[in-house]
Amino acid sequence: MIEVRGLTKRYRDRSVVDNLSFRVGPGAVTGFLGPNGSGKTTTARVILGLTEPSSGTATIGGRRYRDLRHPLREIGALIDPGGVNPNRTAVEHLRWLAAGSRLHSRRAEEVLGLVGLAGAAGRKVSGFSLGMRQRLGIAAALIGDPPVLVLDEPINGLDPEGICWLRTFTQALAAEGRTVFLSSHLMSEMAMTATELIVIGRGRLIAAESVTAFTERADSSVRVRSPQLDLLEVALAGAATSMWRVDDALEVAGIGIERVGAIARNLGVQLHELSPQRASLEDAFMRLTADASEYLPQPAA
Amino acid sequence: MIDSLAMEWQKLRPLHKTSRMVALAITMAVVVSAIVAAAMASNGAQMSLSDRRGFDSVGTSLQGINAAVLVVAAFGALSVTREYATGMIRTTFLTQPGRLRVLTAKLGIHAAVAGVAAACACLAAFAVGQALLNSAGLSVGWGNSHLAAALGGGVIYLVLVCLWGAALGALLRSSSSAITWLASLLVVAPVIVQILPQHVIDLFGRWLPSQIGQQAISSSPNAHSFSAWIGLTVLAGYVAVTLVAGAWRMARTDP
Ligand SMILES: Nc1ncnc2c1ncn2[C@@H]1O[C@H](COP(=O)(O)OP(=O)(O)OP(=O)(O)O)[C@@H](O)[C@H]1O
Ligand SMILES: [Mg+2]
Repeated sequence: MIEVRGLTKRYRDRSVVDNLSFRVGPGAVTGFLGPNGSGKTTTARVILGLTEPSSGTATIGGRRYRDLRHPLREIGALIDPGGVNPNRTAVEHLRWLAAGSRLHSRRAEEVLGLVGLAGAAGRKVSGFSLGMRQRLGIAAALIGDPPVLVLDEPINGLDPEGICWLRTFTQALAAEGRTVFLSSHLMSEMAMTATELIVIGRGRLIAAESVTAFTERADSSVRVRSPQLDLLEVALAGAATSMWRVDDALEVAGIGIERVGAIARNLGVQLHELSPQRASLEDAFMRLTADASEYLPQPAA
Repeated sequence: MIDSLAMEWQKLRPLHKTSRMVALAITMAVVVSAIVAAAMASNGAQMSLSDRRGFDSVGTSLQGINAAVLVVAAFGALSVTREYATGMIRTTFLTQPGRLRVLTAKLGIHAAVAGVAAACACLAAFAVGQALLNSAGLSVGWGNSHLAAALGGGVIYLVLVCLWGAALGALLRSSSSAITWLASLLVVAPVIVQILPQHVIDLFGRWLPSQIGQQAISSSPNAHSFSAWIGLTVLAGYVAVTLVAGAWRMARTDP
């Protein structure tokens, strides 16, 4: 269980994380979403005791990271694919982590096997691809067999096979009852991996709920097809917030599907289609964070 | 603390760099001692009897530590700065969140390695230096009453310089600036001081780390220098001040 309470981090006068509070519970993969620069990495670094917060707290199982006796046995982390001396071999890198956590050095080989790097154990990290480094970072996170995992952008650099592996892998870890906290840019990937979501924008909490609730909360539209579409469009204009044509269909937003059906019946128009359009996670995310995005492309003047 | 020490030792162990730096320090000490001793031996014939009596055979044989000192300082500095350069320091702090405990373990392990390397360097330099001085009848051999103090002084000097390097590394976090500072303090400063008027040198020269090192191995006291042990205490003071600043930065500034 990770708990963040009233967390604020200021760099000079700018609040990068602003009074952020949330909990990440065990037994689920929790996605951590936010546009670029919204403070995901900063939050993760505070949880991991690498950044001192301006105010507020972050605890793992009720204790601050710095108070953990052997942190790697309580929380595994992937914070950046660096953090490794490139002149060392993969197994050497993991052995000193094991030594610092009073773990048997055999754990080094074991976790390399878990992430599919057993064959590269004796190779220098300088010769590793980005994806291999990412896997090594995940192996390091797993070395203490921790009940909590914090992975900052673990998908970066992974090939489709690697992404698929990570998805099943993190889901299996969560199914064992572990707390898995995962940040990512790829909303569609998160929809497949996570069941819970924490969404932030400009360092503030936007949403903390299940993936299904999140998508449902986002505006959905209703799609109608009819031979008398023009008539229907005029009738709906007063009730809907917006409407647009897609090929031979009309999509209506801001109005329940039942009302659309009732209006059509009152008009006596024939319907060929009346269906709810679920927004994808990507759409929902962009709509919710649109006001909170700092770095939007500016149209050319 | 044991796991912090185990971690630092494990980090050091597979590094071929470590053994290469240790070998370099020993080689430089031996080579420079040999050159100085050979030069003295060839002059030996022209030396007067009183010159011979006042000749510091032990100190001459240990001149090589002046060459080893920069390697040892860099060894100390790199032990910290390399971790910041590769980002490995974050992994270190994730494993051992106590900043001061990490720094203490690092200093302990590196001082121990530097101590062993310095002892090997001093013994080898002395052996080679004495063999060369022997031809001119200037050797004193292993029974010399001053030998233990000079060897001990040389080793302590090198270990303190290694710690100084690590402290500067923690303060500056950059290999290049730490090594530039160390080179300036240990090698460039004594050269620059030479252009000052003699009475100024006599007053302030004693505070130079290089002078302190020279006195640590010398058996002839110099009126314008600190005695060996006072000098080493002064050097330990420099190290302590830098260490406090380095520890403060390591604990306070995010890695
Ligand atoms: N050490 C620092 N000093 C000053 N500003 C910083 C520092 N670290 C981060 N920031 C700023 O804090 C903001 C949030 O950064 P952070 O890396 O947490 O965002 P993020 O959500 O991880 O972004 P991304 O999705 O691009 O990885 C950014 O605007 C960044 O410039
Ligand atoms: Mg980030």
